[in-house]
Amino acid sequence: MRLATLISEVVTVTTLVREPASRTPAAAPAAGLRKRAARRFRGTPGRLVLATVALVVLGLATGVTGVVGVRQRAGLVDGAVAQSGELTVAAQRLYRALSDADATAASAFLTGGVEPVALRERYQADVADAAAALAIVSSGGAGDGAGASAVARIAAQLPVYTGLVETARVYNRQGVPVGGAYLREASGVMRERLLPAAQELYKAVSDELDEARGDAGAFPWFAVALGLLTIAALVVVQRYLTSRTNRVFNVGLVAATVAAVAVLLWLGVSALVTAGRLEASHDRGSEEVSRLADARIAALQARADESLTLVARGNGASFEKDYVTMMDRLAGPDRAGGLLAPGDADGPTREFLAAALTEAKSWDSTHGKVRQLDNDGQYDQAVSTSVGTEDTSTATIANRLDENLSKAIDHNSEVFREEVRGAGGSLNGADIGVGLLAALLVFGTAAGIQRRLAEYR
Amino acid sequence: MRAGAGAAVAVLAALVLAGCGGSDSPPSGPDPAQPARPVGVQDPAVLPTTSAAPAGSCDPRASYRPAGALPAPGRMPSGSTMARIQQSGRLVVGVDQNNFRFGYRDPKTGNLVGFEIDLARELSKAIFGSPDKVLFRAITTADRIPAINEGRVDIVIRSMTMNCDRWEQINFSTEYFSAGQAIMVARDSPIKGIKDLAGKKVCAATGSTSIRNIAAKAPEAKPVSASDALDCLVLLQQLQVDAVSTDDAILAGFAEQDRGTKILPERFTEEPYGMAMKRESVDLVRFVNGVLERIRSDGTWTRLYDRWLSSLGATPQPPAPRYKG
Repeated sequence: MRLATLISEVVTVTTLVREPASRTPAAAPAAGLRKRAARRFRGTPGRLVLATVALVVLGLATGVTGVVGVRQRAGLVDGAVAQSGELTVAAQRLYRALSDADATAASAFLTGGVEPVALRERYQADVADAAAALAIVSSGGAGDGAGASAVARIAAQLPVYTGLVETARVYNRQGVPVGGAYLREASGVMRERLLPAAQELYKAVSDELDEARGDAGAFPWFAVALGLLTIAALVVVQRYLTSRTNRVFNVGLVAATVAAVAVLLWLGVSALVTAGRLEASHDRGSEEVSRLADARIAALQARADESLTLVARGNGASFEKDYVTMMDRLAGPDRAGGLLAPGDADGPTREFLAAALTEAKSWDSTHGKVRQLDNDGQYDQAVSTSVGTEDTSTATIANRLDENLSKAIDHNSEVFREEVRGAGGSLNGADIGVGLLAALLVFGTAAGIQRRLAEYR
Repeated sequence: MRAGAGAAVAVLAALVLAGCGGSDSPPSGPDPAQPARPVGVQDPAVLPTTSAAPAGSCDPRASYRPAGALPAPGRMPSGSTMARIQQSGRLVVGVDQNNFRFGYRDPKTGNLVGFEIDLARELSKAIFGSPDKVLFRAITTADRIPAINEGRVDIVIRSMTMNCDRWEQINFSTEYFSAGQAIMVARDSPIKGIKDLAGKKVCAATGSTSIRNIAAKAPEAKPVSASDALDCLVLLQQLQVDAVSTDDAILAGFAEQDRGTKILPERFTEEPYGMAMKRESVDLVRFVNGVLERIRSDGTWTRLYDRWLSSLGATPQPPAPRYKG
């Protein structure tokens, strides 16, 4: 995309340079033309005409590249950055809903009999949420090939997954064990196909966000270089005029110079402010959201692992190992930070993180009890400690942890939107301003030199 | 400004699409149309090639004779394996949680129940005087021998066929159930017997005798293995295999869960079930055989059979014990 900006700038400039030439009759003999031109531009008046043409061309080039560049960046901020930001949020929502469906289905199975209404409703809400998020991501053009392929796989496998869960449910209600086999198959589809695809999708859209942000925040080097060149040319012309006419200042050219400096400053400062706000939208917004979403997903995976360890009933060493991996990622191997470490987070986020870390610690120690009970053969107590509805069960603790992370994500998503709005705002009016200043530059030059030329007639 | 921005984005979008051309290229990763299947399925199955002891090199049903009368519950002879178990406070038993009627998780209560679960409780009663001192560990078919040899369980009661190959690695009790391998197909399947399996996909559990028997008796069939026999029923229902071939007792449980299937009448192997223990703990084997003697003679075996396995047909006599030497 950076290349695209450059191409459009070059095209603009070439068109401008060509325009005067194209007015010359193509059929005129080249030698005659050269002679006439030489005659016309001989002596001071001729040089001044030449200087006017050069300055007007430079001024127009600076103005047009500046305006086009500002518009492109503003378009990227409003469009690509804002949209990729929303897609990233939707992709995270999808991943979370899928992980939660997996964890909820396993918990519902563990509770035995006809599953509790609350768990059934939570599972249904997860599936509906996943479908809604998938619709947002796919209608938003899920980025490049990797994103599109992940969307296709999720769209194909989600109905398969829900079909298996429903089959499991019907058999469970009949009281026969094949329902458990269907649930294990469903969980396999979730863990081996859906979750990896959701992760790929998330990576694809967040890469796209980074790219859009990089392009929108790029410094307008070409326009600034043209502006510098224009100022240099103005200075040279003014020194030449001073040496020829003994007049120190030419009002038109001074005005043109001031306009050129203003164009340069406006372009440079607005670009730097935009880049700064975009940087902030990354550091305080999407990067925090991404870290928090990772934490949330690690917690949900750990939750599913705990349930599946109990479902496997003594055959779940691999799930328990995965639980430890997820908990290490979530709260750090020392249970003192990990993804929940304060880091560079702002005040409100730090509070949510601290609350989440407290819950994570209490979950981990209760999880130790669950494993102890299960290993000691007190399976029923282990299950009720894990999926019970009382305040001290790991299910309740994990829910509180999730709520804290959810609030922190909402907060940081709002920061992201604010900073992107700010980035767009810092470009507001820059196109019109730069255009008017460039016009002033061109007219000032023309008028200023015209007055000197008049003295030679 | 809006129109200009829109146009710029459109141009950029066009450039991006032209540059990547990703949306037209075939998606990478697994084919979305590939059907879901249970975790751990091998298609084609990887079959064990080596056998420590061929069939016929021993009497697979012969176990160690009980050493006199059983010790009283709670008074296991000191220094014995049973005394160690008594001290630990629980008997760790490797079972199935997916074998309907034998050892399965009752979805209504979440509890493990079945014929084999009750046999484990009888052992607990004999050691501790209470049927509830059992710690059940669900294990997969392929994990039965490793679980014993790594000391993760004291004993395995999990539809395990006694054969000479396994006798080289572990010890068995006397036979507690007589099964035979059969074939299950969809109700309207054209498959009538083992000879029709050529070119068909046939499922059994990884590490089972069944999967070896398929390879041996129907070499033209395409064996598919699953980590649990019950996964084979799922594969049959999802039309991913043409038949399931495993012990008739397991298949009877499948048929009860799905009326759209049938078990073919042919039985082409004998599968005597024994409880499996570590090779070193012969004292435990003799003790378990003593408990089995009592269960057979005092009517417990018949009572448990009636409770769990009546759907298999008329209650037979308990399998007669055979002893070494």
